[in-house]
Amino acid sequence: MTKGYLGIDIGSISTKGVIIDAQNNILASTYLWTKGNPIQAVKEVLKDLQKQTKNQDIKIVSVGTTGSARKLIGTILKATIIKNEITAHAVGTLSRYPDVRTIIEIGGQDSKIILIRDGIVTDYAMNTLCAAGTGAFLSSQAKRLDVEVEDFGKIALTSKNPALIAARCTVFAESDLVHKAQIGYKKEDIIAGLCRSVALNYLNNVGKGKKILDPIIFQGGVSKNIGVVKAFEDILKTNVTTDEDGHLMGALGVAILAKKEKEINFSFDIMEGQFETSSINCGSCPNNCEIICVKEGNKLIDAWGNRCDRGKSNIKIEQKE
Amino acid sequence: MNHKIVGIPRALLYYYDKDLWIEFIKKLGHTPKISSFSNKKHLEEGQKLANDESCLSLKLFLGHINELKDECDMILVPRLFSIKKKEQVCTNFNCLYDLVNNLFDINIINYNIDLTEKESKLMAFLKLGEILGASYIKSYKAYKYAEKISLMKRKKLEQEQAEKLSTSKIKILLAGHPYNLYDELIGKPVCKFLSENEITILYSDRIDHTKIDEECKKLSTDIHWTHSKEVMASINYYQDKVDGIILLSSFPCGPDSLSNELISHKIKECPLITLIFEDLNSEVGVITRLESFIDILKTKKEKIYGKNN
Repeated sequence: MTKGYLGIDIGSISTKGVIIDAQNNILASTYLWTKGNPIQAVKEVLKDLQKQTKNQDIKIVSVGTTGSARKLIGTILKATIIKNEITAHAVGTLSRYPDVRTIIEIGGQDSKIILIRDGIVTDYAMNTLCAAGTGAFLSSQAKRLDVEVEDFGKIALTSKNPALIAARCTVFAESDLVHKAQIGYKKEDIIAGLCRSVALNYLNNVGKGKKILDPIIFQGGVSKNIGVVKAFEDILKTNVTTDEDGHLMGALGVAILAKKEKEINFSFDIMEGQFETSSINCGSCPNNCEIICVKEGNKLIDAWGNRCDRGKSNIKIEQKE
Repeated sequence: MNHKIVGIPRALLYYYDKDLWIEFIKKLGHTPKISSFSNKKHLEEGQKLANDESCLSLKLFLGHINELKDECDMILVPRLFSIKKKEQVCTNFNCLYDLVNNLFDINIINYNIDLTEKESKLMAFLKLGEILGASYIKSYKAYKYAEKISLMKRKKLEQEQAEKLSTSKIKILLAGHPYNLYDELIGKPVCKFLSENEITILYSDRIDHTKIDEECKKLSTDIHWTHSKEVMASINYYQDKVDGIILLSSFPCGPDSLSNELISHKIKECPLITLIFEDLNSEVGVITRLESFIDILKTKKEKIYGKNN
């Protein structure tokens, strides 16, 4: 029997799961869309991982969760560790590229930069109020141009003369793109221009003022777009590495972190039950905190969101109902 | 002399001059009434009242006025233009009086500080005293007394902050305008999270005030917003004394949009994150950023001092 460690990364757009062994080798991995329902997505991830490992004698002894739904899923799975995505990504990437000094990550709705020096994270930045230049932006523009977003990169590479597209804001970029199309730019030039504007936007927003040093690893869904990779290489005038498992780094990282925790008994059936979330408004004071309750059948397993203790009594009332 | 209840909104300038106001009003025999800690209702009311391009802090301020409007005889809303020679304050403070006057049908008491027109703080308070029915001599004495108390309290905070520097725990400088740092909806959740994680918090406004001009000059010679200078100075002063810096801003802040940019370009050695708060903020996003930041500082410290220290 080998000991396995499960890491799940529940992002806004996609959900990723890996099982690793004690040497950090990936034994099974899965990647699917969250579709706005993290609980269902994780159920499917578990089902898929179980299927993949059916013939191997693996016992899961620790579970970690990361990503924006880490707390919700961590609670349901009784995870041994719940970690933010930045630490998880850094740990995952460092396990493969111990020399990395810059991680560029562009996901569905957020983008971040992680700076690493001598194997430890020294600084990071995340997009603040604006999601311009992330995966969601690219896929909406692909729809507008009637191109599959998966083909974006390939098409971009055929362009000899990328169009200049205003990069600072999705709204401006969008109107600029329409304008460029109307005055007769070729589609591939516009697409190459878009890829370039994603890279520029990233470097001017998230990467501003940060020292981007070699080796650079590019991750997240957008890293699958070869056009953006090339745009980064052109602008930074250096190599940008992508990993075929780049999308799994968060899940891998949190699985590695889970190894350090104490072992538990984990069964793939844990999500068999009916899990439900509901929200109630506390109402005890003008803040009117929204409290999220997670229930398994009729049993309340956890609740959060209240700023003070007054919310607890309301949760009890909710539980009785 | 009529006894008056003077409303003081717990927002914006309150966080700079609260002791001065409260002591002054009390000394003249009136009762200051301070609005409650910021809550969602303040925000909701403020959003309804404010121009949609106003910053979060101003929206909250209007919410506080709304709370006080029926509960006191008058509300104190000063107008500031220039409170230090050759410097200005944010335009919000220039227009605050007129803004409130337009939006509410209430009795406002106001004072005006504008050094470009030679209207000093002392003169402002003498006029304020006059409105409250006190003679110049009485107002002068009350002002001097209030000034003394406010200075004393300040000194104490500065001293406490200086003592914090000797701790072996992780230290973070929370930098921003005090009306954001101490607001229940903006800075408080951040402070709460940091304290729960055993982090020592230093506040940018508690820097030794005599150091401001000198320290600020090292980062930028011509930032001319008085309140931004304090933030810049503290960042320069503390950057080699703390483990990390958190820049806290409300959206959209004019002065900060410039000074934060400047800071993020000039501060290279000390880890720094910027947290921007707006009306639709979810606390989850803030916590993710804070969590990762603390992780960074912790691993860095472990690496330098060894795990068991």
